[in-house]
Amino acid sequence: MSRRGAELRIGAVSYHPRVVTIWEKFIEHFEHSAVPIDYILYSNYPRLVSAVLDGDVEIGWNTNTAFVELEQQLGEQAPILGMRDIDAEYATVIITRRGEGFEQAGQLSGRRLALGSRDSGHAAILPLYYLRQQGFDAETGCELIRFDTDIGKHGDTGDSELRVVRAIALGEADAGAIGEPTLAAFRGERLAELADIEVSWRSPTYYHCNFTALPTLDRELTQRWSEALLAMSYDDPQMRPAMTLEGVKQWLPGDRSGYEALADAMRQTLP
Amino acid sequence: MTRELDAGALELGGGLEVLLAASIDPMQPGARLLVRTPSRATAYELHGWARRAGHRAVAERLPDGGPYELEIERGAHRGVLADPLPARASGPKPADGRMRTSELRWQAEVPASTPASCGFAPLGSIPELGAPRFDWTLNDRDRIWADDVAELVDQAGAAQWDAASAVPWDAALELPEFMERAVSQVMTFIAQNEYAALYVPARFLPGVNPAFPEMVMWLSRHVHDEARHIEVFTKRSLIGGQASYSLASTELSLHSLLEEHDFSGCALLLNVLGEGTFLDLLQFVDQHAPDAATRAAAALAHRDEVRHVHFGISHVRRRIALDPAERAALVAVAERRASKLTQMSGLSPLLVEGLTIMAAGSLQPAELSHGADAVKGLMKTMETNRLKRLAAAGFDPQTAQYLSDLHTPNLM
Ligand SMILES: [Fe+2]
Ligand SMILES: [Fe+2]
Repeated sequence: MSRRGAELRIGAVSYHPRVVTIWEKFIEHFEHSAVPIDYILYSNYPRLVSAVLDGDVEIGWNTNTAFVELEQQLGEQAPILGMRDIDAEYATVIITRRGEGFEQAGQLSGRRLALGSRDSGHAAILPLYYLRQQGFDAETGCELIRFDTDIGKHGDTGDSELRVVRAIALGEADAGAIGEPTLAAFRGERLAELADIEVSWRSPTYYHCNFTALPTLDRELTQRWSEALLAMSYDDPQMRPAMTLEGVKQWLPGDRSGYEALADAMRQTLP
Repeated sequence: MTRELDAGALELGGGLEVLLAASIDPMQPGARLLVRTPSRATAYELHGWARRAGHRAVAERLPDGGPYELEIERGAHRGVLADPLPARASGPKPADGRMRTSELRWQAEVPASTPASCGFAPLGSIPELGAPRFDWTLNDRDRIWADDVAELVDQAGAAQWDAASAVPWDAALELPEFMERAVSQVMTFIAQNEYAALYVPARFLPGVNPAFPEMVMWLSRHVHDEARHIEVFTKRSLIGGQASYSLASTELSLHSLLEEHDFSGCALLLNVLGEGTFLDLLQFVDQHAPDAATRAAAALAHRDEVRHVHFGISHVRRRIALDPAERAALVAVAERRASKLTQMSGLSPLLVEGLTIMAAGSLQPAELSHGADAVKGLMKTMETNRLKRLAAAGFDPQTAQYLSDLHTPNLM
């Protein structure tokens, strides 16, 4: 099967060169599953969202922020075809130097709070939203220190979160919001700057990335593709390395219940 | 069923992750581990650890003042893509304080063959799936094996020596010029041959299937022995300040040896015939050396060569016993090589001269005549012993004589 003859084109954002490694491997899986795909990479999520809306690709591998934007632009619900296990229980944590933690959101008042990229759901938009939900407006109550790197990639590169960690370690910020999986990854990599940093606050969980299609896409085809996605196994030695790179151990079916907070937050804060 | 784990003062990044993995990895998928910690920060952070490790946090208790609890459900994936490790059993046993290489096979015989694609899986280990495929060339035991290879490995390990210090080098400094010239030529000749003795086993080494560690160790030690021989004979040829020739006829002979690519063919040509003949040469040098350094170098190398020859005889005998057709194949190997050496006629005159002077001890006619007799005697001894070794390797007298006649005039 030539890639040009693929039944479905998947759009994804190239937040790192490994994205090519991942999708070259995923292509093999879908070829074996008789739902041949091709992939097209974009350098940023706004362009990927446009590509889905314009029909340049049938499916977009979106961040939660991109998904919410897509639905807002579409004006109706877009089918969700699947997500990673990690996307179903995403959370943001606020970290502080050891011994300088806080119990209640309000205790952040007057402190310097570092945030990741402005367009990152987990490192900027949602922490502000959830703190507000808990009665604390960090935008007025804190000195915000924003690391707006890799704008357009919605925080995927992890660069802005690394800067948040460093700022706290260096005493340039007092607290900082990063994704829980990012913290776990940094810990796993033995990031030295984390040695005297601890978690003071954990947000409610929300959904993160998903595969999004347009409602006009053939239902039987999306069904077959979702089934093929969910059949990908972490115990398959052929797929394990690519799944590890993608940060997934098990694919889950699409579900819409975990995006309300972000949609609400984006309605409140984005122009 | 829920197991409980008290994290104490441990934190993630500070050892708790090791304790968690040791506790949860052996559990069944779906089983639960209740982690208790006095640190709320650690309790928060455990969620991310669990997810990253492929598990799920299913319940959380965060009472004011702690202790805090997180219940983690083990994920379904396998940490390592292989069957679970078997229960601990007994391992190989040392005897008299020594762990012999033959004990590697305390559990099972050496397999007759092993997949060419397998990786560097040490004996007894369980290979994980998903590794790249290798393509080893020596995957059949009987093509490479010798029954006593494990013992030879141990002998070689115990008999290492240091060429820098094991030879009384100062003793080589005072020879008269005619003698130094003779010794230097003989040493250069031997060193030249030692190169081939290294390159031949070295070429097989990276083709050996890692499932035959004895063979990997044997060839490595063989190669290491030869490196030391190159070292000791090169040093001896240089130390007197007298240059000598590396002869084209020797190169021709060794070149033809390197053109043989069959393992057993090389065992016959190099180990049995070449190194076998060198045993007699080294003994001759040991006996007639004009100085203690040359004598020691020859004696030490001789000790190593005995092992190499032993391996060759042992391997060829086994190979022929298992497959009598191999006898004819090995004869063909010797014929093929001899056909490339038809332009050679006898041992190089320069080498004969050197050996004669060493045996004579002077340039006096009477002593030179005595030296020439000794070299003739050496040639006779070489042939007699070659025939004995070929017989030991499994050739009948007639074939042995034929092979001996085909053997290179260069000795190796
Ligand atoms: Fe040697
Ligand atoms: Fe040797």
